[in-house]
Parts: sequence; structure tokens; C-alpha cells
Amino acid sequence: MIEVKNVEKKYGKKRVLKGLSFTAEKGEITCLIGINGVGKTTIMKAIMALTPINSGEILIDGEKIRKESFEKITFIPDTITMLPQMKICEAFAFMADFYKNWDSKRADELLQFFKLDSTERIANLSKGNMAKVNMILGLALNVDYLLMDEPFSGIDIFSREQIAEVFTSHLIEDRGVIITTHEISDIEHLIDRAVLIDNGEVLKEFSVEEVREKEGKSVVDVMREVYRG
Amino acid sequence: MKHYLKLLNFEVNRFFKLYLTLIGLIIVSQFIGAIVVSKGYMNGVDQVMYKNQLSMSQYTEEYGLFSFNQFVGSGWFLLPIFFSIAILMIYVFFIWYRDWFGKNTFIYRLLMLPTERITIYFSKLTTIMLLVLGLVALQIVLISIEMQIVNSIIPTDLQSHFSFNDDYSLERLYPNTLTEFILIYGVGLIFVAVLFTAILIERSYGLQGIFIAIVYGMLSSGVFIAPLLVNRFLNGYFYSLEVFLLELVMSVIVLVSAIWIANHLLKYKIRV
Repeated sequence: MIEVKNVEKKYGKKRVLKGLSFTAEKGEITCLIGINGVGKTTIMKAIMALTPINSGEILIDGEKIRKESFEKITFIPDTITMLPQMKICEAFAFMADFYKNWDSKRADELLQFFKLDSTERIANLSKGNMAKVNMILGLALNVDYLLMDEPFSGIDIFSREQIAEVFTSHLIEDRGVIITTHEISDIEHLIDRAVLIDNGEVLKEFSVEEVREKEGKSVVDVMREVYRG
Repeated sequence: MKHYLKLLNFEVNRFFKLYLTLIGLIIVSQFIGAIVVSKGYMNGVDQVMYKNQLSMSQYTEEYGLFSFNQFVGSGWFLLPIFFSIAILMIYVFFIWYRDWFGKNTFIYRLLMLPTERITIYFSKLTTIMLLVLGLVALQIVLISIEMQIVNSIIPTDLQSHFSFNDDYSLERLYPNTLTEFILIYGVGLIFVAVLFTAILIERSYGLQGIFIAIVYGMLSSGVFIAPLLVNRFLNGYFYSLEVFLLELVMSVIVLVSAIWIANHLLKYKIRV
């Protein structure tokens, strides 16, 4: 379980996260929803110790992040995290070199699934294909938790469909996933929990299925209630 | 340790193309220079000897001998070295900033490796030192080749004996004793480590960080030269050995604090 407890974060005098708390369970897809600039990316960076927090605590399976944690949790930011001059196969070799949990077989499977050529240079890839490679860099790690920042933003409809397909596959099952989006419609049917964020605070945290069954509401319905008052 | 070596290899490879270009530039410029300077000298000698009907020994009596320093002091020899030093100085900064800037934010990957983050710092530091020492070693080999080139053009009767100690800048680059060597390159290492830490301060605190980084840099330099200053202030109160030992202690303090601060920043304060 990932626990984000009372996290505060300031950029200068501006408070970006105001005592924000939520949890994300293993085996569930948790979606952080909010318009741009409410601090979704900052939360993910904070979980990965890529940006400091001013107060609060973040625990991964009850522990603070340490170097070993990076074999257990990974982050797929919205830009690719490899050198542009690398070929895809070189990027994979780099991953295999440093991570015990890198699954080369799965990386190749995903490459085939996305119909990508491993000798292609990252710099020459289209935006959609770059997003797919970036996704593979995270998915081929045998980690318990995956954080994905806006995996669907700015890419074409077919790439979106392919990526969405990955979400319903065995590649995601059993893992804990935190995903951010400002457009819920693409992935509403995929997610288990929704965390509505505005202005650095959690407005509401709920199980999508429960709300659907008990109240007959979709995520968008709840969002309307919460954001429009 | 394994990750350190892998990262080191990776970092060296990232600079390697440019490094080979630098090496190529040095070789071409210095070899051409050795030929141009020697030929130029010989032309001058021939003309003077012909005009004044001098023999070789009469010429050397009057005009002196050719010294290898004339080549070492020329732009052909020095400019590519200065250029390489400038490039490496820029790379001290670029080795970090290239990971933050540009479309592909590689720093995410580096910071998410399952290894102590200070390993990144050490690998980059070692990379810079290896690049510098590589060029220094290359220059030794080149100088001996260049001497052959000069010898093949200028008869040895016309040349004075040359040793590294004759040239001030070469003597700095290639000190006589191992201790001096360690001292000179040790100071270089500390300098780069302090710059690295200053860069990380800027990367952690942004605009404010620039100010803190400058203060940190000045403090480190201050601590570093304190023994020399104090000794001068006291009109040479300490023996040179004492100054040396004090300097050694200060160096260790500056280096260890640079690493300690860098470690802390990378762990808790760094921003991507």
C-alpha cells in the first residue's frame, strides 16, 4: 500500500499541496483526477523522492522510500526518461543493466504488441510511439507499484486504445497503479478508485464500483457534484 | 560498486565522441605545428647562413640554439590545450545540466536507479577526472612524437637539450614527484567536487540556490586557502611542513563536506 499522509509542499510562498492524504492499494488502479496545475504530478514526484516535501509522510508498504524501493515502485512520467540518441534496444539494455527486476522477455513482448522496432532511435519516434516505449520502460519492471503521469495525453486515438488495452491485461493485474489524468473519460472503465483533487487538497476519495452500484453514479457524475458544488 | 562502474562507463561513453574530436584536434594541430615551427626555423637558419656565409657552428654561436620550448610556447601547441581545458570546464556543468534540460529528462531515470544517489555524483566526478588525466597522458605521448618530428627536420646540432622542467606550464602539468602530482590533481578534484555540489545546490533550491551556491563556493575556497592566508598574516609563523599538513586537513574538510552536502541534497532536496 502507498500511503500519502498530510503532505504539504510549497513552491516559494505558494502552497501546492495542502496537507494532502490518500492511499493506493496493491491490485487496484487508483486515479488522481483534477485539472492541470492542482499538484498531481507533484504528488507522484514526491512519492518517488524526486521533489522534497515540506511536511507529512509518504510510505510504501509501511516504509519510507530507499534505494531498494526502486525495484518495487516505478514512475512513468509524461516525457521519456532515456537519452534521445539511444536505440530502443540500448535503452532496454540500460534497464537490464541496473534493475534486477527488469523482465527482458516481457519488454520484447510489449515491443511486439506495440509493433515497435527495437533498432529505432528514440529521437526518431513519433510522440505516440515514444509514449509506448516510455510505458514499456515501466511495465517491463517487475514492480509492485506503477505511477503513471497522464499516459494518454497528447497521443493519437489508436495509441490510446493500445495503452488502454495494456491496462486490462495481466501486465497490470496484481499491481498497484496510480495514474493521473485530467480527462477521465478515456479510462473511467479501467479504474478502481478515484481521488478527486483540487487546489492541493483531496476533495473526495471513493471506490468507483461502490459508487456505481450503490448510488448509480459514474465518476463524471461525482466529479460534477464535487467540483460544481 | 557494480552500479558505480556501470554508471562511470556510461558517463564516459556519453562524452566519448566529443573527446575523440578533441584528441583529433590536439594531434592534428600539434603535429602540423611541430612541422611548421621546425620548417620555419630551418628556413630562417638557411637564409641567415646563406646571406652571411656562416657555417652551422658560427650560426649557433651568434644566434643560439633551437629549443623545443619555441614549439611548446607556440599557438599550435597551446591553443588546442586551452580549447580542451575550456571544453572540459564547460562539461563540468553540462555533465549535470544535460540530464535536466532537453526533451528527455534523463535525470528521472538516474534518480530512480536502485542505487545510492551519491553514486551518480561519484561517477560524474570520476568521469571528469578520467577525461582530464586521459588528455594529460596523451600529451606526454604526443610530446615524445613531436620531438621526433622536430628532430627529423632540425639537426640535433642546432637544438638545445629539452626537459619538462624548462617549461613552467609543462612543469605544472607534469610534476617531478608523485606527491606533487597527487597534490596538483587532488586540488583539481576538490575544485570539481565543490563545483558539482554548488550545481546541486542550484538544482535543489532554484534561483535562491544560485546565491547559496556562490556563498558555499566562497566558503569552501576560504577554508581551503585559510592556512596560507593565516601563515602570510603571521609573517610565516608556521614551518612549511606545518602549512602543508594544515592544508591537507583543510582539503579533506572541504572535500568531505562537498560529498556530504551532495549526498544530503540528492537524497532529500533534489528537484526534477
